[in-house]
Amino acid sequence: MKNNSRFLAAVGGVSLVVGYLIWTGVTETMTYYLTPIELISRVEEDPTFHQMGVKVSGRLERGSWSRDSNELLHRFTVADIEDESVRFPVEYRDILPDTFNDQELQDVVLEGRYREDGVFDATVVLTKCGSRYEATPEELLEDFIE
Amino acid sequence: MILLGEFALWIALPVSVMGAVLAFLGGVKRRGDWVLSGEMSVYAVFFLLILTSAGIIVAFLTDRFDYWYVANYSNRELPTYFKVAGLWAGQRGSLVFWALLLSLFSVVATVSNRHKNREFMPYVVGVLLTITGFFLLVLLFADVNPFERMPFAPADGRGLNPQLQNYWMTIHPPTLYLGFTAFTVPFAFAISALLNGRLDTRWIIITRRWILLSWFFLANGIIFGMRWAYEELGWGGFWFWDPVENASLLPWLTATAFLHSIQIQENRGMLKIWNMGLVVTTFLLTIFATFLTRSGLIESVHTFAENTKIAFLFLGFMGSIAALCIMLIVWRKPLLKSESQIESYLSRESAFLFNNVLFLAAAFAVLFGTLFPLITEGITGQTITVGPPYFNRINLPLGLALLALMGIGPVISWRKASRRNLVKNFRMPIVVGLLVALWFYMMGARQVMPLVTFGISSFVLTIIMVEFVKGTKARSRIEGEGHFVAFLHLIGRNRRRWGGYIVHVGVVLVFTAFAGAAFDRELITTLEPGESVTIESPLGHEYNLTYQGLSSARGDNLAAKTTALIAVSEDGHPVGTMTAEKRLYLTWQAPVTEVGIRSKFLEDLYLILESVSDLNGAFLNDPKAQRATFEIQINILVGWIWYGGLVISLGGVITMWPSRGRQLNSDQKNSHRDPSGLTA
Repeated sequence: MKNNSRFLAAVGGVSLVVGYLIWTGVTETMTYYLTPIELISRVEEDPTFHQMGVKVSGRLERGSWSRDSNELLHRFTVADIEDESVRFPVEYRDILPDTFNDQELQDVVLEGRYREDGVFDATVVLTKCGSRYEATPEELLEDFIE
Repeated sequence: MILLGEFALWIALPVSVMGAVLAFLGGVKRRGDWVLSGEMSVYAVFFLLILTSAGIIVAFLTDRFDYWYVANYSNRELPTYFKVAGLWAGQRGSLVFWALLLSLFSVVATVSNRHKNREFMPYVVGVLLTITGFFLLVLLFADVNPFERMPFAPADGRGLNPQLQNYWMTIHPPTLYLGFTAFTVPFAFAISALLNGRLDTRWIIITRRWILLSWFFLANGIIFGMRWAYEELGWGGFWFWDPVENASLLPWLTATAFLHSIQIQENRGMLKIWNMGLVVTTFLLTIFATFLTRSGLIESVHTFAENTKIAFLFLGFMGSIAALCIMLIVWRKPLLKSESQIESYLSRESAFLFNNVLFLAAAFAVLFGTLFPLITEGITGQTITVGPPYFNRINLPLGLALLALMGIGPVISWRKASRRNLVKNFRMPIVVGLLVALWFYMMGARQVMPLVTFGISSFVLTIIMVEFVKGTKARSRIEGEGHFVAFLHLIGRNRRRWGGYIVHVGVVLVFTAFAGAAFDRELITTLEPGESVTIESPLGHEYNLTYQGLSSARGDNLAAKTTALIAVSEDGHPVGTMTAEKRLYLTWQAPVTEVGIRSKFLEDLYLILESVSDLNGAFLNDPKAQRATFEIQINILVGWIWYGGLVISLGGVITMWPSRGRQLNSDQKNSHRDPSGLTA
């Protein structure tokens, strides 16, 4: 029995270390996942929020994408899904995913920082494709009519 | 044929429910005829699900776009190959495919055990049919019927997402599903053992090959997924800690733990409750993975409500299974008593136990991180996510500890290691590990984690090599065989042990490959035809890439594709050309990028056609539209993931290979009780 309890102590020790890793991992890497409306109201409440890395889910504005061909800089506008009047420009300096398309209705997820000048400096751009892969019969009917 | 398939799906549900009820009742009331009917239902359900799957495939092949599922995942010009793969391209088909594979395994498990292990059969059949029945229930009543018709037939389908039109993507999901479903068999035997009270190692011995089979498919499925991401999606990356990836990793982690902990039970009669817990947990995680990969629960946190029916069905199902299993284990607790105790920290039991704790800790950390957005949203109403840094931070140290244990576990003695055992087995490998790390340091590698990884990897490889050499020499001396023959016979005589070592070698290669990624280089540049760019490899040589220009053509299922041609020379010597493409699919508006990869043993040269300044011009072969931007990467050791995968598969096949007759046990001296004559 004595050995078993020694063992439990060792297992407990490992769990403590892992618990510590999880705790610090969460507190140091956690990112708020916000809508543009939430982001903007947060920043108004607390200007230090500009410095925080955040994740934002919004809607890509049609036809808003442009790029500077000399430097690899993409610019586009993202709006809130509920209220498209709440929007901000985005800058991104890496390769966009293939599914990124500003010619049709598309939701995107951005990671990065909302700068003081009101531009979102994105380090990651993901497109939400779940809804793109499947269409409801009504949507298919629309395609069909077109 | 399609209607027949739909009809078969409707028949399969009552057949499996009836079969499950009869099998369970037959087990309780000891009515052999009822149990036989249950077994017949297993065969019948398999037959019906073949008809159902054939129906779906026929609908794809004959372009029946009046079926919603076909219209969403196919189009007329889609190559036949991908039309067949349409069966598992989307949620609805995959659920059918899942049920089909499960019923296939149910048939195999029933046929191969119905005589040998009669006492397990009633409940095994009952559990297998219950799980199949659940999936059929979901298919028919959770708005995911693959045979749903639309009131009209579109002229063409929407086509398969181009990123899924890749060889690896067609075999990646089936491989994972094989792994998920194969694990249902050990789970069914475990439940059966709990119900009939045969709680010795019998159920483990029966299902050991199934566990290995499931593990084998999971490992391969995960690696195929990495390969697909590397080629198609990841721009040179292969793992992103995406919820869907995590979901497939979770059952693999716990299955690996289980694979090791059952060896302690077999050899020392310990950890019985723990093993029951692990088999249930792993099974639940396979269901969770199926659910998560096909429901989009995590990514679309804000649109969770869309598919509540299927979510509640799955959560309810998993919850009730978990509750029932806990009740069963508590009920049988007296029979699950440990037969021996751990005697020392320095023993094989202890190494295996730590292996288990670490695997479970990793699984918990990954699960926690994956569900974190849901948890925070549930508690605070505010979604908070954790990203790759969180996962790397936790899993790197855990992974390295596990890597080290992989060297320690196989050679440390059972019960209590003597000082002599430790010095004899570990002195030389530790020295080798330190020397390798030192050598890399002298070569200019400065990152800590890769150095530690290389050091530990060499430590493990040395230990395994020494084991092989010792075993071969001993055998060659005793049997008077040549070294090569002795080596083959050595493996053949205890496949489980030596096959396991080979799997370990594969895992070491994969870990080394992960560490290699720390040395990757990349650059982005815009070129006109004739211009060139130089990139230096961390291995010392230099690549010079000269852009030759773009050319466009049509292709299968493509409106257009434009191909950039690049001439490559290494240290001034021309070594060939590479191409990278932009494709415009018939059914997809946005252009799709296809990368070029030039693989060598130690590095890949990886070329992405990032953009073309005038893409429409390029598609029309306009000679002025040639300016293009490329990303060029040198990915160090990435190929070792795939080589490691092959080695893992080889080891897995050796381990699972059916033994003819009696297997001698070269490891007998280590084991004080070993009913099967097999040890680790």
